[in-house]
Amino acid sequence: MIEVKNLRKEFELSKQQRKELATDSKIAVAVDDVSFTCEPGRIFSLLGPNGAGKTTTMRMLSTLFKPTSGSITIAGIDAIANPQEARKKIGFLTGSTGLYARLTPNEIIEYYANLYGVSKADFTERKNRLYDLLDMNHFQNKRIGKLSTGMKQKVSICRTMIHDPEIVIFDEPTSGLDVITAENIIKLIRDCKDKGKTVIFSSHIMSEVDLLCDDLAIVHQGKIVHQGTMENFRSEMQTPNLTAEFIKIINENKTV
Amino acid sequence: MISTIFKKELKDTLRDRRTLMTMIVIPIFIFPVIMTIFLKVSEGFAKDVANKTVNIGIVVTPENMNFVKTIENMPKVLGKKKVFVYHDSATVQKHIQENRLQFGVFVPEDFAKNSIENKTSKFKVFFNATELGMKERAETFLNAFEEMEKAKRYVALKVDPASLSPIAFDYRNVASDKETVGKLIGGFLPYLFIVFGFIGCMYPAIDLFTGEKERGTLETLLTTPVSRLQILLGKMGVVVLSGVMAATFTLLGIFLSIEVFQIVKDPKLLEIIHQILTVKFILLMYLLLIPLIVFFAGVMIPITVYAKSFKEAQSIITPLNMVMILPAMVGFFPGIELNAITACIPVVNVVLATKELIAGTLDIGLLLLSFGVMTSLALMAILFSYKRFDRESNLVS
Repeated sequence: MIEVKNLRKEFELSKQQRKELATDSKIAVAVDDVSFTCEPGRIFSLLGPNGAGKTTTMRMLSTLFKPTSGSITIAGIDAIANPQEARKKIGFLTGSTGLYARLTPNEIIEYYANLYGVSKADFTERKNRLYDLLDMNHFQNKRIGKLSTGMKQKVSICRTMIHDPEIVIFDEPTSGLDVITAENIIKLIRDCKDKGKTVIFSSHIMSEVDLLCDDLAIVHQGKIVHQGTMENFRSEMQTPNLTAEFIKIINENKTV
Repeated sequence: MISTIFKKELKDTLRDRRTLMTMIVIPIFIFPVIMTIFLKVSEGFAKDVANKTVNIGIVVTPENMNFVKTIENMPKVLGKKKVFVYHDSATVQKHIQENRLQFGVFVPEDFAKNSIENKTSKFKVFFNATELGMKERAETFLNAFEEMEKAKRYVALKVDPASLSPIAFDYRNVASDKETVGKLIGGFLPYLFIVFGFIGCMYPAIDLFTGEKERGTLETLLTTPVSRLQILLGKMGVVVLSGVMAATFTLLGIFLSIEVFQIVKDPKLLEIIHQILTVKFILLMYLLLIPLIVFFAGVMIPITVYAKSFKEAQSIITPLNMVMILPAMVGFFPGIELNAITACIPVVNVVLATKELIAGTLDIGLLLLSFGVMTSLALMAILFSYKRFDRESNLVS
């Protein structure tokens, strides 16, 4: 489970940034008083336009960023006080994730398994299962630099799941991918849900959210402007489709 | 965990062609190639100068034609020559500038008279300083002529030449040959080590920090349950090893130059070099070199952590290269010695200590002081790198 309470993240602005943003304020608030809960066996979606604060929230959940205030509990662990313990429970995948071009899939997967302290037996069993599932056996010894985007994405998925995380965080995982490659991610998210894992993913694509999620929160200008189940969202819709409803909510909450 | 990161980064680094070039190929071949070219060019030049027929213009009056004949009859062992008689020095100077003559001699009218009266005559010698070696060729002929004239005077004056040399000074060098070589050319070795140690660190540092950020792999790495200090130390280990390897391959290049390409022809000098390059010397040199390279890595890493692209990192580190390498040139200047002050100046202390080590005159106290200074700086550099690496603003682009 992920529990987020009153999360806030401020960034200091440099003189140059203040000039560019035409502001006198020395700080920029990226995330402001955000609270939500992600349940195991359910898919939670953080939906918002570009610059809404989704990536900053995801980076705080994955312990890359330290919140200015608020609390994050990951699988019962205080992620702010014990980030290293929390990381053991997390699998993190972003759309912009890169891989080491000079290494092979086998070398990368083994490297991450070692970093997560996965035992030899578990590593072999999981690797074989994931390679079969994602059809990766034929390119396991090729260097990443020589693989297609789809193959690389499969390696990234395998790398994310090799330690069998309880919590899986996807930050715009399908961004920049074609529909066939994105399908691997969609399958992975569904598979995680079926296995009872806690899944949170951020997106700005309403159709993707509609396809997968059970609960959603719409973020705009760092604040949550709507939160609830997908079922309720659909039933309370005042516009003809989900995208139009999403745009309506964003427009209603514009402050500038 | 540090070793897991170290092993992976080392494997990744050794597969990078750019790093292999700066870490192995260039250091191992630069010294033999440069030295071979330098020696071939200088040998060729010396040969050319010695074999070249020099055209000598002599401004002389009829009563002094004996000078022309003497020069013409000089033995061939002094070099090939052709003598041309002129009547004015302006034409001689013009022809030297036009490279038709290599040097010219103006013989004063009263030379024959002065010769009889045992007086001194003033000869003007014209030469072009940009034509290297020609002044020396002129001196060879003119000194030989002067010696002949002196001999004539000794006979005429019935003087024993030995009676004009009341004292014969016998200068004895109390420094060993090893010490002399060490003090004179010992600055060259640490200079090469510092240059290649720095360059050896440069590409891996940029690749492992800025490169990882640029390629989008750092974010994933930081979400693993490994502390940032462990990640930093694992990566830094590879950067340091690359610098040490580059310096080691430089040493290997020097060894190849001496033992395989045999660039040192003088057996005495070769013996001195063999005396210098002992296991003890190499171990003591590494004692100084390793903290220096950790310091280099510690200076580079905060820059590579801060930089957003490979290009940006390279554009900051390249001028820094000059700042680090300029103090290394202090070893080329004679007279600057390792003392309590210079032992506290980073880079300079390593150069001077290595120089003293080569000469066999290193004071152990100053060695320890230099080592202590470099180790402290290296630790400070690691701490500073960690502070920068731990800043979240530097971690993701």
